[in-house]
Amino acid sequence: MSWGLIFATTKIFHFSHALTLTVAVYAAVLAVSGWGVPLPLGFAAAALVGGLVGVGTELLLYRPLRRAQATQLNIFLASLGLLIAGQSAVLVAFGPQARTVEGFPMRGIELGPVAFTTVEALWLVAAWMLIGGLVAWLWLSRDGLAIRAIASNPELAQCVGVAHERVFLLVFAVGSALVGLGGTLLALRDTASPTMGVHPVLAAFIAVFLGGIGSIPGAAVGGVLLGLAENMGGLVLPGYWQGVIAFVVLFAVLVVRPAGLLAGRGR
Amino acid sequence: MILLFSILGVSLNLLLGYSGLVSMAHAAFFGVGAYAAALTARHLGWPFPLTLLAAVVVTTILAGGVTFPALRVRGEYLILLTLALQMVLYELMLSWTDLTEGRTGISAIPRPTLFGRTLVTPAQFLPLIAACAAAVFAVGYRIGESPFGRVLKAMRDDERATLAIGKSVLRYKVAVFSLSGALAAVAAALFAHYQAFINPFSFTLDRSIFLVALVVLGGTANLAGTLVGATLFVGLPEMLRFLQARQEIVDAIRDFVFGGVLVAFMRFRPQGLLPERPGVGAAPARAGLAAVTPALPVAAARTDDGRPVLRAEGLYKSFGGIRAADDLSLVLPGGRVTALVGPNGAGKTTVFNLLTGFLPPDAGRVVLRDRDVTGLAPWRTVGYGLARTFQDVRLFERMTVLDNVVAAIPGQPGERLGPLFATPWRTAAAERANRARALGYLAFVGLADRAGDIAASLAFGEQKLVALARLIATEADVLLLDEPASGVDVQWVSRILELIRQVAAAGKTVCIVEHNLEVVTAVAHRAYFMEAGRIIAEGRPEELMADPRLGEIYFGKARR
Repeated sequence: MSWGLIFATTKIFHFSHALTLTVAVYAAVLAVSGWGVPLPLGFAAAALVGGLVGVGTELLLYRPLRRAQATQLNIFLASLGLLIAGQSAVLVAFGPQARTVEGFPMRGIELGPVAFTTVEALWLVAAWMLIGGLVAWLWLSRDGLAIRAIASNPELAQCVGVAHERVFLLVFAVGSALVGLGGTLLALRDTASPTMGVHPVLAAFIAVFLGGIGSIPGAAVGGVLLGLAENMGGLVLPGYWQGVIAFVVLFAVLVVRPAGLLAGRGR
Repeated sequence: MILLFSILGVSLNLLLGYSGLVSMAHAAFFGVGAYAAALTARHLGWPFPLTLLAAVVVTTILAGGVTFPALRVRGEYLILLTLALQMVLYELMLSWTDLTEGRTGISAIPRPTLFGRTLVTPAQFLPLIAACAAAVFAVGYRIGESPFGRVLKAMRDDERATLAIGKSVLRYKVAVFSLSGALAAVAAALFAHYQAFINPFSFTLDRSIFLVALVVLGGTANLAGTLVGATLFVGLPEMLRFLQARQEIVDAIRDFVFGGVLVAFMRFRPQGLLPERPGVGAAPARAGLAAVTPALPVAAARTDDGRPVLRAEGLYKSFGGIRAADDLSLVLPGGRVTALVGPNGAGKTTVFNLLTGFLPPDAGRVVLRDRDVTGLAPWRTVGYGLARTFQDVRLFERMTVLDNVVAAIPGQPGERLGPLFATPWRTAAAERANRARALGYLAFVGLADRAGDIAASLAFGEQKLVALARLIATEADVLLLDEPASGVDVQWVSRILELIRQVAAAGKTVCIVEHNLEVVTAVAHRAYFMEAGRIIAEGRPEELMADPRLGEIYFGKARR
């Protein structure tokens, strides 16, 4: 959803969102494991650093590029370049080995036939809270209105006096803070590594396109669908297809309904 | 390795630079080719040139076939779709162990034997790889700088306009994807035999990204740029090997520099090291341009003056609840100018879209002479002699004025791959003739002296004239002009109107959509008045102008 928010609003194919995620998670790792900060503050650090990285990317990379009237492909490649360079920087600074975020009690929970861990329970709760919060903010606040205006028609929004540069910044700040939180949640169970951001962000691309560009709730639905397809497909198809399912689903959807499953029916 | 990457880069540049199709699956195609070569060599015992052929065939079919459904999408969708394809193919290479042996890969691929010598060392391989690279470069260059490449560039600059000059965008896309796959497969087969060992890790997404970056850094639509890019970005990092440091740190530094260079280039030199050369073939000599004789093709059927050439019967089209065309019938007589007038949103442009196949009608027929052309693809209706311009001009902005016009000439042998390579002399002669004709059309609209300029550098009025020349070049005899004189200074308007009169006098059937009633009265013999998707009146323009009811619709009710 955070990537969807940025993409829908700014139309930037923000690949280096993966870098934002990685850096934010490393901030949390450092804070918690390095300086012994309690875990909730670690999350705060991730959100803060994520937001800063996102805003920095927008200010120092995308804004000058837009001013120079770069094409979408140019911006996309610049984003890729930043990701490659940033990943290597993280690698040099922290080494290639995986890090963990400590301090969360990991236990198994069983509810009837369903078994999961405390981390997964936290994921469930936190994810829905973040999604709910974001949707509420988009629909209830004045900033949310401005964001939706730009997402649906940038030129018209500018005409009625929505300052799009400011909104872009805001979107990058919020989206990046969210991905910091999300990344740290992931790192609670899995580990942090310099390339950890790529897979979640690829999944995010797919979720956003499945749900339909510009539809922010659609991105959430797309994410859920994607998760279901991956797990259900694993039950009926031979093992080596499992990693492929997400992309096959995407391929099929793009071919059949290029605008996305839940895209608005406008003309 | 530099040469192998050059081959890959050249093959990708045809897609990315010339056609504007971003493929993130190039490494996967490369991989498929390599596996095809490796497997035929290992299991079927085929000798080298045959394995290369196998790689080319398999990859061509795959690239053409898989991308066929994908080609309806563009821009970020295509990036995503090819990304998905890359991941699917990569995962299959990893997991389909019966065929690919998974992550262990295929080893002991036989070394090729040529002229009785078996090639083992890099030095022995060099001549073979260099020869192949030269051949691929020659093929790529021939295609890129030919009428075929001109259509690719036109497609990149404006897909709808490419359809409107009668080129099947889909056909060219499949062709260029297959071709790009075929050329990549040449590199793939060489790679498999050279390494004697392949595994999936050579064909990752990272490699696809690297290739895209290489092409963009070297310069899109410039094959020499790709060679320079490959040399720099594949060759220089090899130097780093001499640094006494741990491998992973060296890799990280290399990636860091590469990423940084990519960002810097996008920021400060987005066109790459060597920018695209404007114009296909030699630039026209400036001195000769003033002397070009204006040419106007005479319509084949001069005899149908005044007789109905195009008829539309009962066209319906609705978008959601809105009736954009409602039981709409009209007739265009040959050699006359007919106008469609009406307030904004009356559905005038929709009528053009319905007539030319850009929109399929919900009901009704479009008949051109005796042929039913209802709902045919736009490029086909152009072939039958019905073409249109756009309200927003839609020139191929990064091409020269001359190329904009030449591209529209139908039936060029150089636009098909067979004649392009089989009969080069005939192709070259046809190209010379076509250029001369296009210059004639440009002279007709008075722009021959701007032939070598980039289309985007022209003033808006001049762009409209180029669009008119491009329309004439399609050799269609029914011409639909969407607001030919809107948004243009007064001195241009009279010039454009004079040209329209001349075109009609030469026997063409002309229909214009126009807001400006003075323009309509000045050129049109007949006019249809539209409102809310219906034709509510027809007659001579002066009669329509005099009708107070229509004036009310057009200008709104007068205040009392």
